[in-house]
This record gives sequence, structure tokens and C-alpha cells, in this order.
Amino acid sequence: MTDSSQGPNDDRRAFLRGAVGGTALGALGMMGAYSYSPMRHAHFDTPETEKADIGAVVSLKVTNISETSWFNNADLIGDIRGAGGLLVNQYKFNWPPFANKNGKLAEGSYADGIKHIKADLPNNLERAWEFQMENAVHPENAGGYSALLEFEMRDGSTKRILLDSGWSYDWIDKAFRREGIDTMLANGEIDALVISHEHFDHFWGFPVAMKYAPDIDVYVPDGFYEEGYQYVKDSGHRGKLHVLKPGLTKLFDGVAVYNFAIPIITRVYGENSLYVNVEGKGLVSVTGCCHQGIIQFAETALREIKMDKLYGIYGGLHISPFDDWDPKYDDLVFTLGDYGFEKIGANHCTGLLTVKKFIARGLPVQQGTARFGSKDPVYLGNGDQIGFGRDVPLMSPVSADAAPAAYAPPASGDGDAVEGATY
Amino acid sequence: MQHSETMERYGDGYLEERNLVQRWPSPIPQILNLVLLGALFYATWWIFQDPRGWMRLYTPYVGYMYCRWLLIIFIWMVYIFNFWPFRRAWLERTHPVLKGVLLTGIAVVIMLMVIKGFFEGLLGNYGMAYFSPDEMQKLGITEFFAEEYAALAILMFAALASWLSPAWIVGMEGAPWHKERQPVRGLTILLVTFFLATIIFFMTMHPHMGILYEEWQSFAAIAPPWWHTFADTVSGNFHVSWIMCCTVVVWLVETIWERYPFRLIRHDWGRRFATFFGIIAIAFACHFFLYFAQELWWGEAVRGTRRLMAPDWRWLHVGEMMIFFLLPALFITFYFNNWPRKGSPTSRIAIRTLVTLVAAIAIYWLYYNTSHLLLGTQKGFSHPQQFPMIPTIWLINIMLINHWFMDNWPGWKIAPATRTVPASESGAALDPALNPAE
Repeated sequence: MTDSSQGPNDDRRAFLRGAVGGTALGALGMMGAYSYSPMRHAHFDTPETEKADIGAVVSLKVTNISETSWFNNADLIGDIRGAGGLLVNQYKFNWPPFANKNGKLAEGSYADGIKHIKADLPNNLERAWEFQMENAVHPENAGGYSALLEFEMRDGSTKRILLDSGWSYDWIDKAFRREGIDTMLANGEIDALVISHEHFDHFWGFPVAMKYAPDIDVYVPDGFYEEGYQYVKDSGHRGKLHVLKPGLTKLFDGVAVYNFAIPIITRVYGENSLYVNVEGKGLVSVTGCCHQGIIQFAETALREIKMDKLYGIYGGLHISPFDDWDPKYDDLVFTLGDYGFEKIGANHCTGLLTVKKFIARGLPVQQGTARFGSKDPVYLGNGDQIGFGRDVPLMSPVSADAAPAAYAPPASGDGDAVEGATY
Repeated sequence: MQHSETMERYGDGYLEERNLVQRWPSPIPQILNLVLLGALFYATWWIFQDPRGWMRLYTPYVGYMYCRWLLIIFIWMVYIFNFWPFRRAWLERTHPVLKGVLLTGIAVVIMLMVIKGFFEGLLGNYGMAYFSPDEMQKLGITEFFAEEYAALAILMFAALASWLSPAWIVGMEGAPWHKERQPVRGLTILLVTFFLATIIFFMTMHPHMGILYEEWQSFAAIAPPWWHTFADTVSGNFHVSWIMCCTVVVWLVETIWERYPFRLIRHDWGRRFATFFGIIAIAFACHFFLYFAQELWWGEAVRGTRRLMAPDWRWLHVGEMMIFFLLPALFITFYFNNWPRKGSPTSRIAIRTLVTLVAAIAIYWLYYNTSHLLLGTQKGFSHPQQFPMIPTIWLINIMLINHWFMDNWPGWKIAPATRTVPASESGAALDPALNPAE
């Protein structure tokens, strides 16, 4: 016990201090209790804002040119670990196509790398890639992400967007030729190239697109670093470069890009994703990596865009790209079904485990054929197609000729077809 | 065993009794030490943590694990073991720089023994695979994520220990073992707090680890975790939040609040329980209030989404916000002798709390506007690799080295005569800055 031989004044003072302290603590406690009570929801009523009318298209067809950005997770993540983790600047890795003659992991730079290939861009890409094969870190692991979006417009015309330009010159050029993209680009049949974000696997194959269509309109997200802008110039781009600010930008009737100002691993900032409003069906979300999160993408659409409902998803959803996991990803698996999507074509950085969990949860996943390097049929794979507002064959006609599927995927939403996922 | 006045007290009471005097008038010592802290912080950050630097441990979890464990080892050495086995005479006479280097070196060795020996080697190989990167790689996890997952599990133990260990000293006043000699007292409190940390780990972070792997470990852990409907997430970040609040509130009570209002309770055990559980109650109030504050600022969280709007990140950010309060609170206590020292306890505490609040907001703003440039972290608030707790705890570690091990060198020195604190006082206040001015 502490000393109790105190006078009445001391007792009074102690009582007052106790009262002050107790009142303060009580107030703090009440504040805490209120803060997580249902009553707090009264503070979140926000006035309905006017929604943007982006128009509508009749239908959308997506052809997956390549979703395989790299072939070996262990090599890629090993490089990232060896270079110092997920925040290291991607241009420092000494990955292709920015290898210097040193060839050592984490000792590269854009300036050191581009000087070896600049003269070969964009018309001598074979020679540029040969240099990478000899000098870069894990050049054989480079693939790339790219997709062709074909819109059936309400006036009967067709518009096309190439989403992303892949990574490996060799890989993406072969994929372009397999799907006839080279010819479409050369003939001016593709209206725009939208780069979702600056990441190596979405952007570093840029000179391949420039080889066929140097005058094409290019859209990049605000947040590109100096190296990225320089690479656009060094690749021989002569067309208009549109830098999209954060928020919604309508491209043409029924199609808009939304730029999310978000930080991304390996020192990348900002991502463009597409909203396509399919007449009579609803809104389709098309993404490169969807670093902002598909729920965030959906919530943004519900808040800002006029539509019938959320209808479809295509692309990478960036949940478990390296076959990693975090319990917070299960929150997405629990809730995605509440948004009412009717057709989901997922691949690339979504993660095989994520898609398996989607299927086990009963979500309407359109599975693929696992050809041309795609690892598992739960992904809508390379050479596969998905239609929104129209029916399309699962395999693109040209790819079907090149490699018929040995695997017939089950109907979407058939949870029994997939093993290895809890739910 | 009977206590004896002649018995070696090691560092028992050392922090209270050392008579630190400024070498120069204010604010020269404060500025000098701030410059030294900044230089040490930046140099060591570059060497060990910075993604652009040398060792690049900020992966982030590996670097996070080391800085959390270093913090708890410092707390063990000073608060629980009272510098045992170093003798009082050695503490008083050895040059602060030598003491700083030697004691920090010992802390690093103990830290490596705990992480590599106890968690990865013993628990990881013979108990639970998720503590061992090697065991996880055998199960097919890639090297990088095996290291990250193991680091997460190990650092969560440190988070719990860095709340419970000082809380037992501050809240429970080390009782009922406060009259035992070292190392009996230290070992007992260490084992008790580690035991409590283990129980809470199994109820909070173990279910998180149980669904981190596929398939869910439903026979070994509650899956999905028991809190997910209440917290709006299955993530263990819900617990990271309140545990960090507890950790910070312990130090606020100990430093700028001078253990008020709990010290007004005269009954020893009443005061101890009120302090220990009062800290938890205040922490939970902060836990919920700071979550609500984010909802007011950024909008209501949406389950299933990522980053800024995700409940799991919001809970994590509560802990991150709390750590910004700790920095100025410690600085006021260590380098401004817990200013102001005059006036009533209510006014002193109110002023310090207000200064801490304003300073914390300023540091928060500064951090999120400059960290990507200065520290090599990522721009924005909510990137998965943006962990402000790592640099802030790294800086706190350096402050603790300077204040506990180096007697605030170079701005301060120990005056030749140190005062002796009566045994009854030494258990109640561990730092002279905490003694009331009246």
C-alpha cells in the first residue's frame, strides 16, 4: 500500500484528480464504443452523385493473345528477392530488354540497358533480343500480357483496342503473329493501344507493337516514370500519346478508361482499366492487372457510371500472381459473388489458387484450354476467347488451327470440376 | 533469500538514479542528439533496410521481423532484466559509445538466437512448419514467400511480447516478483509474459496462419477465423491493430502520462490491475476510434477490396497511426525531460498529449510525402509493401539505444553523483523524467 497519512486537502485533490482521470477515461471508452457501433453508419450517408453516361456497345469479344507473363514463378520471385524485394525499381533488375553488359542482378538501369538496343528499335527486334539472351537476367523467363478487345458498335462498325504490349520481344511477336495482330496493326485495324500500367510484363514489349503500327494512338496512365516515357520515344512511337489523369475518361461510345492513382510493386504507379457497357447486358470490367482490386473497380463503377448491372470480368485480377496467398484474399472470394457478375474470364496475375477458389465458391468462371503456355485450364488461356453480349467459340479460329485443345473445360460455375480449393 | 544493501544491484534502478545533465544549454543538446539519431537512422536504414541500399531486408516482412525483435530484446534487457549481468559500476563508468556498441551487439546476438534458434530452428523444425522457411520450401512454397510467411509469424510473436513485457512492468509493476533478485525476476517475468504472448498468439495470429495455406488447416486452427464477421475480414490485421494500440498506450502511460490516472489508486493490487487492464481498455477505444476516423476520411470500408478501402488494411493502418504517436512521446520524455515539469498533473499531461498529437500528425504527413524519396518505400498510403511501422520502430530502436545504453550521449552526460532512489519508489517509476515535478 502507498502512504495513507494525508490531510483533507490532499484527499480532496486526489479525489478531483481521480474524477478528472476517470471522466477522461470514461469519455475515451464511450468514444471507442460509439466508433464501432451501428450508430456510426449515420455518418456515411453520402448524397447521390450524377453518374456518367459512357454510352453502350452491342457486344465485346476479347481474344487472349498472351496471359503468360513469365514461365517460372521461382525464377521471377527469386530475382525480386535477390534484388532486394518488391519495392526495387524494375529498371534496375537487369531483366530484358534493359540488360547491360554486366548482366548482374540488380545492377542495371534504363540508361545502361537501352543504349545496347536503341538502334535496333523497332525494326530489328531479333537482334535486340539476341543481346538480351546473352546478357540479361533470366531472359528465357520473359513472356508478356496482351489482349485484343473487339467492340461491335451500335452503328454497325467495329472498333478494336490492343490492351498492353507484353514483355519479351520474341514471345509477344510470335503471339501477335499467331492471332493475326501483326496484320491488324499494320493495316490500321486497331484503333488504339492502351497500356494498363508500366510493369515489365505489360509494357516492355512496346517496340513490337511499334514495329507494325508506329503511328497508333497510345494511352498510358498518369504516373509513368521518366524511363517509361523515354522508352515510348526510344521505341519509335510517332503517334499521339495520351496520358490519362486519375478518374474516368470516355474513349468512344460504350467504352471508357478509368485511371486509378495507386502505387504498385517494383516502383510503378497508376493503372488504367476499361469499362465496357454492353447494351442490354451490363458493364464489363477489362483489366490488365487490376491492382486497384476488382471490388474497388466494381464499386467505382456502381458509384460513377450509368449501367443496368455489373455483367462481366476479363483479365488479371492480381490476387495471387506468384502463387502466394494472404487470408485477406479470402475476403474477396467471400464477397465477389454478391456483385452479380455473370461471366468471369480470369487469368494472368489472378492466381490459379484464386480461380480455383472462385470455382469452388460457385462463381461463373469461363475456363479455358491451357494451350500455348497457359498452365491450367481454370484460366482463360492463350488463344482463348470470351464474348460479352455475343457467343464466341472458346478458341480463336487461327489458334484452333494451330493447336486444337486436348482439354474440354466444364461449364462455368461447376465447382465440382476443380480440386484443391477449400470452400 | 534475504536482500542485502551490499548485494550487487546490477542495473536495478539505474535509469532512475543516473543523473543526466545537459552538456550545453537547450536546445543545443536536443538538436545535436536529433542530428545524431537522424544520421544513425539513415545510415543503418541504408545498410540494412532500404530497397535501394545494401542488405535490403525491407522485403518487407524480413526487415520488419528483425526490427520488432530488436525492440523486444532491448525491452527485455533494460526493463525486465535491468541490465543484468552488467554491474552498476560498469554502467556508470564505461564510455557511452562503448556501452552502446557492446549492449546493442549483445541484443543483436540474442535476437538472432531467438529468431534462428528458437523460432526457425526449434519451433519451425519440431513444432509448426510455418515458422521455418526451409520446412515451407519442402512443402512447395517458393523461397521468397517461405521467408516472408515465416517472418510474419515470428514478428507477430514480437508484437505481442513488445506489448506484454513492458505492460507487466508498467501495469503490474513487475508484481508479484518485483522484490526478487535478478536474474530470477527477469526470467520469471520473461517466461510469464512469453506464455501469455503464446496464448494470445494462438487465439489471434494462428487462425490467420491456418488459412494462409491451402488447404485450410481446419483441424489445427479455427477456419475461417472466429472474428471475421465482426471485423469484416478474415485477416489477422484486426488483431495487429489492437495489439499495436496496447503497445503504444503502455508507453504513453509510462512516459507522458506519468502513469496517471492509475497511480492515484492507493491499493497496490487495485492499481496494478486497473493499470494493466486500463491500458487495454484505452487501446481498444483507440482501435475502434481510429478505424472510424478512417471511415470518415476515406469512406466506409468495403470487404473484399484491396488497399485503402479494405477493412484488413484499415485495421493495419490503425496500428500504423498509433506508432506515429509514440515517436514524439518518447522524444519529449527522453530529450526534453518530459516537459513541462511544472503545473498540475492534469495540465502537464494535457499539454504533453496535445504536443504529441500535433507532432504525430506532422510526422504522419511528412512520412507519407517523403518516405518514397528518402526511404525507398512506395508512394501512397496503402501499398502492400508500405509499412511505416518498420522505419518508425527502427528509429525508436535507435532512440532507445541512445537513451538507455548511451545515457543520451553526446548532448548529455552522467553527473558524478547519482541519486539513490528508495526501494519503494524504484518500482513505481523507472525513469527520472517520469517523476512528478511537484
